Amino acid sequence: MDAITVKHLTKEYRLTKKGTGLTGAVRSLIRPQKVTLRAVDDISFSIPEGEITAFIGPNGAGKSTTVKMMCGILKPTGGEILIHGKNPAKERTQVVQSLGVVFGQRTQLAWDLRLGESFELMKHIYQIDRGMYEENLKIMDEILDISQFIDTPVRQLSLGQRMRGDLVAAMLHSPKVLFLDEPTIGLDVEGKYAIRKFIKEINRQKGTTVILTTHDLGDIEQLCKRLIIINKGKIVEDGALDELIDRIAPCKNLVVEYYDENYVQHDKAQIIGRNKNIVTYQFRKSKITGAGLICDISDRAKIKDATIQETKIDDIIRIAYGREC
Amino acid sequence: MNGIGTAAKRAGLKTAYGFIYKLRIEKALAYRYDVFSGIIMQCIVMFANAFFWRAIYSGYETVRGAAVSDMLTYTIISSVMAVFLATGVEQRVMKSVEQGTVATDLLKPIPLFAIYFFEELGTITASALLCGLPILVVGSIFIVVPLPADAMHALLFACSFLLSFLINWLFAALFSLLAFVTINMSPLLQIKKHVLRLLSGGIIPIWFFPQWAQNLLRALPFVYIYQLPLELYIGRLSVPDALRQMGLQLFWVLILLIVFFYVQKRTMEKILVQGG
Repeated sequence: MDAITVKHLTKEYRLTKKGTGLTGAVRSLIRPQKVTLRAVDDISFSIPEGEITAFIGPNGAGKSTTVKMMCGILKPTGGEILIHGKNPAKERTQVVQSLGVVFGQRTQLAWDLRLGESFELMKHIYQIDRGMYEENLKIMDEILDISQFIDTPVRQLSLGQRMRGDLVAAMLHSPKVLFLDEPTIGLDVEGKYAIRKFIKEINRQKGTTVILTTHDLGDIEQLCKRLIIINKGKIVEDGALDELIDRIAPCKNLVVEYYDENYVQHDKAQIIGRNKNIVTYQFRKSKITGAGLICDISDRAKIKDATIQETKIDDIIRIAYGREC
Repeated sequence: MNGIGTAAKRAGLKTAYGFIYKLRIEKALAYRYDVFSGIIMQCIVMFANAFFWRAIYSGYETVRGAAVSDMLTYTIISSVMAVFLATGVEQRVMKSVEQGTVATDLLKPIPLFAIYFFEELGTITASALLCGLPILVVGSIFIVVPLPADAMHALLFACSFLLSFLINWLFAALFSLLAFVTINMSPLLQIKKHVLRLLSGGIIPIWFFPQWAQNLLRALPFVYIYQLPLELYIGRLSVPDALRQMGLQLFWVLILLIVFFYVQKRTMEKILVQGG
């Protein structure tokens, strides 16, 4: 069953265009010029239950707008969203009961309370029964080790600790769907590792559907099988990460180091560079595997070393961003 | 959702509100030193008013049906009431808008202004103890012991004050919605606070105002915030008159409630469309 269905979703903002200079300022005061900005432009997708999906795109692509509409805190101009069959624009309070949301750039925790008190507050607001609350807290403490700072006021927590607290707070009521808007932003290596481990574990143990927006490609590589790339309000790519890599970067490079300057030609690989006894071959993944190529070459000549170069995920994403629909 | 489910949800929300209330009291008690400036400010106003009334009444028994002791009681009780009627909801909304936390508040399956209301009750409970009580004691020692006219009027005062609290809070909540359209409303808030206290007879009872101003103010809800409960306290109104006035007070509570819900819904709608 699909956890989330989005059909022809569109969001337009009406902005007042500000004139430049004093005359412009006066003019826009008297007769404001309205401009319509289409932040999300007719996007459709569906996400099955229990999947971790990355929602990525450059700044201002419409990711956050889409996430906000899915949470019910922004109304779509057109189209429809269903979260477990319910429309967040119409049944906001019911939808948010089954949602966990974390915005990396702002906290949901009460600034002046101890972390534990913030959790208690969530327990009351979401009406979580004691058994579930304690069990969830225990499970999450095992992954994130929050008990060491649970009695610290939120304002005194480090960013990494606060982020862990935010994640726990978002998952206390066992939501079926978890939205994470840049959850690893500004965190150190250790912090990122903890957050990723948490997302993986929660998804495995509870089958939570996770939607993640991020600029951190490490997050995507380690967590998501599926990727939705959005640019200028439109979906430019939607599919498995591996498929995307295959499609955008169908070729790999093989760098072979020979013992001498005698090198081998291969009909399924093209030589794209040679520097003395180091030769770079480019081959299509669909035609031959890297291992096959190394096998063939080493049959015909003695080789010292061989390295396969993958196209970096950063480059793939950059190519995808660059393309329009 | 079935009926039983909704009933259970309501009961659950009650404990949620209770918890919010409790947390606020704890917070206010933790930051208890903040109240000193409040006590001092209120005491200054109280003493200034008391001297003012003593000066005006020198040589007169009663002015417009009120004795000097009535006016002194009026002043002290008005100062104590001000502690209960100091609202924080405007600041709360303003901060949420500034910091963009309205979005996260909207993610909670609980009405936004219900959260604010119970936070306010918590803060007021704490400041009643930390601020109201000291003012009452200082007033009693240095000015006059502010006793109510009789037990019946004390009871009427209590009921009426409850309604005036609601009028005042709803008005503040309505005002707080302005935060969504203006960037900085701190100066506006200061003006509102003082104008409200003046128009509602919190400093000078409106029976000392010129007739036309009295007529105007009686048609507005403000007199029901300070003046009505105070009149009841010093026993200026007979019981039937009091009940009639309290009926009008209740009427204003309902009107403001309707207006507030309407404007709130419209504002929220607009935020949901334009983005926070």
